[in-house]
Amino acid sequence: MEIIETVGLTKNYRRFKKQAGIMGSLKGLIRREYEEKQAVSNLDLTIREGEFVGLIGPNGAGKTTLVKMLTGIIAPTCGTISVLGYYPNDLEHEFKQQYAVVMGQKSQLFFELTVEDTLRLFKEIYGLPEQEYQISKDYFVNLFQVQELMHVQVRTLSLGERMKMELIAALLHNPKIIFLDEPTIGLDAVASKQIRGFLAEINEKKGTTIVLTSHYMEDIKALCKRSIVINHGYKIYDGDTEKLFERFQKYKKITFIFHEPTLLPGLAFDARIMEQTPYKKVIVVPKENAAELLRALMSLLPIDITVEEEEIGTVVERIYQEGGKGFA
Amino acid sequence: MSRIKRNLRVVRVLINMRLQNLMMFRLGFFGPFFVDSCVFLVQLCVFEAVYSNVDRIGTWGKGQMILYIGTFSMINAFNMVIYFFGINNIPDKIKNGDMDLYLTKPVSPLLRLTFERVNPGSVPLLFLSGVLIAYGIKEGGVKITPFLVLGYVFWIGIMTVLYYLVEVLIRSLSFFILTSGNAIILEEAGLTLCMQLPGIVFYGIYKVIFYMILPYGIMATLPVQFLTGEMTFTRAMWGVLVAADFALLTAFVWKQGIRHYNSASS
Repeated sequence: MEIIETVGLTKNYRRFKKQAGIMGSLKGLIRREYEEKQAVSNLDLTIREGEFVGLIGPNGAGKTTLVKMLTGIIAPTCGTISVLGYYPNDLEHEFKQQYAVVMGQKSQLFFELTVEDTLRLFKEIYGLPEQEYQISKDYFVNLFQVQELMHVQVRTLSLGERMKMELIAALLHNPKIIFLDEPTIGLDAVASKQIRGFLAEINEKKGTTIVLTSHYMEDIKALCKRSIVINHGYKIYDGDTEKLFERFQKYKKITFIFHEPTLLPGLAFDARIMEQTPYKKVIVVPKENAAELLRALMSLLPIDITVEEEEIGTVVERIYQEGGKGFA
Repeated sequence: MSRIKRNLRVVRVLINMRLQNLMMFRLGFFGPFFVDSCVFLVQLCVFEAVYSNVDRIGTWGKGQMILYIGTFSMINAFNMVIYFFGINNIPDKIKNGDMDLYLTKPVSPLLRLTFERVNPGSVPLLFLSGVLIAYGIKEGGVKITPFLVLGYVFWIGIMTVLYYLVEVLIRSLSFFILTSGNAIILEEAGLTLCMQLPGIVFYGIYKVIFYMILPYGIMATLPVQFLTGEMTFTRAMWGVLVAADFALLTAFVWKQGIRHYNSASS
């Protein structure tokens, strides 16, 4: 069953264009120039119940604007939108009762108080009966393993711990849909992995539909079967995540650290050297040659190796250049 | 009915959390009691200095003027204790995009903003205002009856709500113009003036401004007129009408504002 549906969804912003300097400011007082910015353009989207969908795109692509329209925070300029059968910007309480949103850069917790205190407020906001509240809270506290953190001030929590608490606060009322806007931003690898594990479990066990925006490839790859790529407000890819990365993520960045000054041997395949010092080599290779490169340099006995995926912006750029529109 | 019950529970928890929050810092909790009481006493001194050489203001004598100041202080104290610090943040929340999280919860954002920053530090103002009102009643020779008390409380209630509506209305302009700072400066200037001068002194354009546009001129005047037997049917109707008009206008502007909200960039 489709629970999110948009047709021709568009959001335009009008912004003041100021010329540089004091003269520009004076001119702006008399004659103001505005420019239209299309944050989301003519976007058709369907999401089924229980799906885990990734929204990918570089900064300013329109991901957050889309999430804000889907949650009713802002109204679309034109197009139709239906989430759980509601028009989100009508902001009906019955609608808001059924979804949750977590914004990685905005906290809904009370910093001076404990998480337990914030959860009490949310219990009343969502009108949860005491028993249902306790069952739900216990489930998530056990899942996230945060029993000992429930009674400490939020301000004393680490970023990773705080994000777990944000998720508990958002999930407390068992929403049908959860929108996650950069939930792993700023988190270390361990915390990100934990959060990913929890999200996968919630999607699987509770059947919660999850819409995730992230800059991190790992998040999308590990969690989302389906990805939607947005750039400059346009949807340029909508389909299988695996296929997306298989086709458009072409290179790997490999960093080698050596104990002694080392010279690079000649490589028989296409490779770009990004950084080279006696002790460090950063090389970008086509992913099919990554294993060969590793084999070639392992004989030089590196003390550390890091293999990185291409940045999301690069992949999006490539989809755009190679006419990814055919996939949308 | 269940919506009202839920809202009341939310308000109770918000007040509870605010008190807990304030109690995390001892100076932050006790400081405002001292500061607000001092500000009140300074205002009294200014008033004393201004009115020590004046016997009458318009048709009002000293007793009525003391009643007026006590009444204005009482309304202002309710404002400070209950909602001022919550709704005063509305322009910032709009500007910074912090309104996002309020809009996604199944409870009125305005209800939450209204009660999330109650300020117990201003509670002494309620007592001090009460003392001033009692002194004004004695000085003015007002004979208190249960009807007068009930009517006075009713008018204080209506005017406290009116005060709230005007403040929300002005701050809601931020949905449309982003900076409502100048409107707030105008509001504060009108407020300061009307704290010192009762509505009975305004005529002509000033009456239009302070009875209709920024209705601070009637806020403390009408309760005092009721208590001193000067309230006429026309004045009473005017007071109720202004409060009702502002309720409708504020609700309209707030709802339009929410629809107009563009949220700050992430």
